[in-house]
Amino acid sequence: MNTVTIAWIALPFFIGFLIYLLPKLDRYLALMAALASLAYGFSLFLPDSSLRLTLLDSFGVTLEADTSSGFFILTNALVTLAVVIYCWDTNKTAFFYTQAIILHGSVNATFICADFISLYVALEVSGIAAFLAIAYPRSDRSLWVGLRYLFISNVALLFFLIGAVLVYQANHSFAFAGLREAPPEALALIFLGLLVKGGVFVSGLWLPLTHSESETPVSALLSGVAVKSGIFPLMRCALIVPEVDPIVRSFGVATALLGVFYAVFEKDTKRMLAFHTVSQLGFILAAPEVGGFYALTHGLVKSALFLCAGTLPSRNLKKLQQQPISTPLWIVLAIASFSISGFPLLSGFGAKILTMKNLLPWQVIGMNLAAWGTAISFAKFIFIPHQRAIEDHKSRPGFWIAVIILLLGLIAANVAYYDAYNMTNTIKPLATIALGWLAYFAIFKRLSIKLPRVVEQFDHLIGSMSLVLILLFWMGFAWLDI
Amino acid sequence: MKIVSMDVMSTGAIAYYVLIASREGFFTPILSDSRIDGAYADPVPQGAILTAIVIGLSIQALMLVGVMKLSRDHPTLDTHEIEKDNT
Repeated sequence: MNTVTIAWIALPFFIGFLIYLLPKLDRYLALMAALASLAYGFSLFLPDSSLRLTLLDSFGVTLEADTSSGFFILTNALVTLAVVIYCWDTNKTAFFYTQAIILHGSVNATFICADFISLYVALEVSGIAAFLAIAYPRSDRSLWVGLRYLFISNVALLFFLIGAVLVYQANHSFAFAGLREAPPEALALIFLGLLVKGGVFVSGLWLPLTHSESETPVSALLSGVAVKSGIFPLMRCALIVPEVDPIVRSFGVATALLGVFYAVFEKDTKRMLAFHTVSQLGFILAAPEVGGFYALTHGLVKSALFLCAGTLPSRNLKKLQQQPISTPLWIVLAIASFSISGFPLLSGFGAKILTMKNLLPWQVIGMNLAAWGTAISFAKFIFIPHQRAIEDHKSRPGFWIAVIILLLGLIAANVAYYDAYNMTNTIKPLATIALGWLAYFAIFKRLSIKLPRVVEQFDHLIGSMSLVLILLFWMGFAWLDI
Repeated sequence: MKIVSMDVMSTGAIAYYVLIASREGFFTPILSDSRIDGAYADPVPQGAILTAIVIGLSIQALMLVGVMKLSRDHPTLDTHEIEKDNT
């Protein structure tokens, strides 16, 4: 298992460079890399296959792969597979596939890291690969969005680096478990880096512009997987060092509410989906032990939605209300929206029930509000008019195959938590969805409030990092004995 | 200018690592015939920060190229101007 793990980690990077050297084989190699990850992800669910590798005498450099990472790795594999298939018959150069596979590989690496320096390297590589993928069209706008992303990501990880060396100083080891003995500054610095990278709460406000202005497959990849690379270490830390659990949970609730608040007022499809990602990451963080399953469902759904949003005739929701879309496209959109709203028979339902079961009492109200907000915002997608006979020029076979893979994955993932299906559990999500649709028709359909975009400006993003740093420091100081 | 500031931050982080490495002692941690007992600097943070130096360098280079390309069409380096046009 050890050799397999190490080979699997190194494989995407080799394949990434190979793709650039052998451009004719680019899509096939990319497909191979995604399938290899899929196989590895599944293998982590076999009993006795969790792994904890520690490099001897190397100061806490640790790899830890268990079922929690298995969920994330599966998400990564499936989303990358879908994106490669989506791009199959477009004319993307080998460079694009190289970046996608390197992103895939580095995100995989974050899912099995259990020490801060390996995590730093993996996060930086994923940031660089994401930047190159975002800036792929080479237009001014995409270049600016990509540069902004890279800058923010690098600055946040510099803070992270200082936190990591403080942890080292306290324990002579970089392992996650060392967070317990480290001073509260270390906690604040490390968490700041992870919160920014993961797009959580106000430090995550770089996310909407970045995810909405990149090309469709890149948005799917970023929103479906890359942000999870920032979230997963937070979950791991909460599990390994239970004292930081309240901080992680409170950020979970805060970001769920912030994201959904922006999302219900949004009129642009891609921006709404991006704000939704911010909110759903809150759900993953709110219950760290079971976040893996939620991450799987969210990754599949969000990438399916982004791929669909790329195929819709317009990005403006008001325009979509006036012009019917083709029914098959609507069906796909509706299934995905139902899953994220928590409708039974799709694994989003199981994920929501599992998360709600694992909440602490003070989180329940906030998370229920966020779930209601989710139902409202996705009602916007469900109630787009549709007709059977519309000629659909934008959708291609690659799109259909990709989306079908993702949706099948959603339905199949139900097996991970089929205990959710009983009477009491089914009533609550249905009620939430019904209330959400009611609110949508009564209020939000006619509302046209434009929320200010001031907080997303570049300077404010950097400034908010210092504010969040101070906030984290005081949270760490006051609530924990660290 | 902001990119240069990022580089300065990165240098600061690297300097901090070197400081922590030298808490134990100032001698280069290389064994040789003339052994100096004790007072070796700690090699681990030094090793870890090498990676960070390289990563910082490459990100710096990428960003500078990006800005060069951006300023080809609009010869301005002001982030507010660029942001207004592109958001």
